[in-house]
Amino acid sequence: MALKALDIYKLLPKKNCKECGDPTCLTFAMKLAQGKSDPDACPYLDEAAKVVLGASTRPPIQKVIVGMGTRAFTVGEEFVFYRHEKTFYHQPGIFYLVSDNESDEKISDVARMIREDYFTRIGMDLRLNGVAIISDSGSPVKFSEAVKIASLKGEIPLVLIASDPTIMEAGLGVCGNFAPLIGHVTEDNIESFCNFGEKYGASLLLKAESPDLLTILVDKCLAKGLSNLLLDLTGPMGVFVQDSTVIRQLALSRKVPQFGYPVFLDVSQSGFSGLITGIVKFASVIITPPLSKPDMIAALVMRQNIYTDPQKPIQITPGLYQIGTPGRSDPVFVTVNFSLTYFTLQGYLEATRRSCWLLIVDTEGMSVLTAVAAGKLNETIIKDAINQFKLADEVDHGTIIIPGYASPLSGRIEEVTGWKVMVGPRDAAEIAAYIEEELK
Amino acid sequence: MDLTYSPGWTTSVREVVIGATSSEGGSRRISYKIGGENDLPFIGNSGHKPLIAFEICDDPTIWPEVVRSACRDLINNPADWAHHADQELNADLIRLNLTSTKKRNFSNYKGIGNTIKQVLASTSLPLIIEGSNDQDIDSEVFQQCGEAGQNERLVLGTAEAARYRSVAAAAIAYGHIIIAQSPIDVNLAKQLNILLREAGLPDDRIIIDPYTGALGYGFEYTYSTMERIRFSALKGDLDLAMPMISSPADSLTVKEVREATFTDETAIAWEVATSVAAALAGAVILVVRHPGTVPILKDAIDQLKHGRGGI
Repeated sequence: MALKALDIYKLLPKKNCKECGDPTCLTFAMKLAQGKSDPDACPYLDEAAKVVLGASTRPPIQKVIVGMGTRAFTVGEEFVFYRHEKTFYHQPGIFYLVSDNESDEKISDVARMIREDYFTRIGMDLRLNGVAIISDSGSPVKFSEAVKIASLKGEIPLVLIASDPTIMEAGLGVCGNFAPLIGHVTEDNIESFCNFGEKYGASLLLKAESPDLLTILVDKCLAKGLSNLLLDLTGPMGVFVQDSTVIRQLALSRKVPQFGYPVFLDVSQSGFSGLITGIVKFASVIITPPLSKPDMIAALVMRQNIYTDPQKPIQITPGLYQIGTPGRSDPVFVTVNFSLTYFTLQGYLEATRRSCWLLIVDTEGMSVLTAVAAGKLNETIIKDAINQFKLADEVDHGTIIIPGYASPLSGRIEEVTGWKVMVGPRDAAEIAAYIEEELK
Repeated sequence: MDLTYSPGWTTSVREVVIGATSSEGGSRRISYKIGGENDLPFIGNSGHKPLIAFEICDDPTIWPEVVRSACRDLINNPADWAHHADQELNADLIRLNLTSTKKRNFSNYKGIGNTIKQVLASTSLPLIIEGSNDQDIDSEVFQQCGEAGQNERLVLGTAEAARYRSVAAAAIAYGHIIIAQSPIDVNLAKQLNILLREAGLPDDRIIIDPYTGALGYGFEYTYSTMERIRFSALKGDLDLAMPMISSPADSLTVKEVREATFTDETAIAWEVATSVAAALAGAVILVVRHPGTVPILKDAIDQLKHGRGGI
């Protein structure tokens, strides 16, 4: 079991020397308890304490980095089973799977798609992560050629799939320096693959008939000093969900330390629903045949949602925003700086095709309902925003429209700001009807 | 090696029966049990298979454009639309949304009673009825719904904390099930269930709707709220041990879907993604509107239900 901060504190020198970078031993202990710091940062720790702390402060799920350079990505290092307990830290990498039997052109198209395609929402660029090449040809030459085309000189993280060590070595010959993930490592080829792991620094993808047999492979790799491991739990969707759930539980409780590695899933059989299942149920590297654009976007949005930190709502910068090209007589809608509120309202306002102003006030990222209840949306904040963003310089009508849930504040806002207040709808979906009825 | 998983659950999700066959006093060809799970979704073999409800409406003017065009020959005739969803799409349930009641100055109460009777005649699947959302007309609307579906063990929606009495009264008087909706908040869901129990509704007649935020616009809050409701239920909180329903209808109105180039494909992808994730968080009735979603979602549920069969 993980140690609590106070238990860790008892093992520390309690000198408050600050050499670890933290102001006190207690704050250092709290970081260790969360797995956010390394016991080695303390120069005065005795060996016995190091052993205890080293084993219990390593994240319950090993951190593994796939790829090199700007597109390299980290998986593992997770601490919770439910995202609401804290957050999920590292989004799963999604790889497009191509066969080495495909034409050079097709392989390079897929690689370029991975390198170039992205879309932006809520101020973030959403992208896929890499290419997985599978050896179907059985030819080392063909495999290495396919790998060479797909790697784009190391720009794109790769997964190499070939269980024959000769074929794998041919692939590693062209991309071995780019930290690929290689598999499948099984009982039969584990010796050779461990050698590749040592020689190239590649991460190893372990595959066995059942989860308990996986633990044997893990032990063999650990005996060789290799700990950049992933566990392949590919199977029918129902089986995956069960295995992935149980393995996550046993890894987090540290009951079976061999399960403390990120999970891999191939959704070639289960398709788009399998991809969504992998995203929500703990997969860390997912390979899929290339997706249609709608499926790709939906999957990336789901990944963004599930991996959003529940404790840190995404905020938008307060300010006066324009919808369309508003003029001096166009309406002013006031709302909070919770990004979901902003983007939802913006979407509905744009759909009305009516130009207007959107005054975003600072409620520390709280939604309207929460901000009203917590007093974060109040007459003073609205007054400050009107002044700070010089609303009076932009419009003549002296009127603002507040969210429906803020209606109890309307009198006080009028008093304090001197602006006339209209109460808008509670639900952004009703904004079109509201504009039509109230603003003619 | 000890690979046991011991989460310490103490309680099962309550079973709710929806629809009534002739032997149960109704006229449906099938009735369903939902709920009954004693573990996390799709873990072990407990509980019943999640159901897919296809949603239709009696006034398509406020229905998403993408669905109106996909169902264009059917949208002005709820009975034909329901028949199609039953026979062609192979939905498990039909949800009839009485959108006409959401228009200003609605007063055609007899009309909705007739529509319900026509739909009950055109499909023999169990029915969910989504009524008005205005206190001033709720009482008469739900009276009509309750009466028109007497003995059929309908699912009536939607009760909210601020307006649940009319729905509850109709459900109690005519023996129907109720959908209790709360705004993505586990505590409010619990409170509403307590209110409904105090109003006289038995616990096995309640389905929780924790509200499904649109994908990309807060779906993660719904996902976590569903997980928390299920966790509380399994840990023994009887006020939350009811099956859950998810309706990702909002996902069809977001900007990304409205403005998509491949409109149908996008709508289907967003509905499937939201529904699969909701099922994995514990929802057992998945309400969808795009006809293309149904077969994909059916396949996904079949795949998810084929697990290891117990741990």
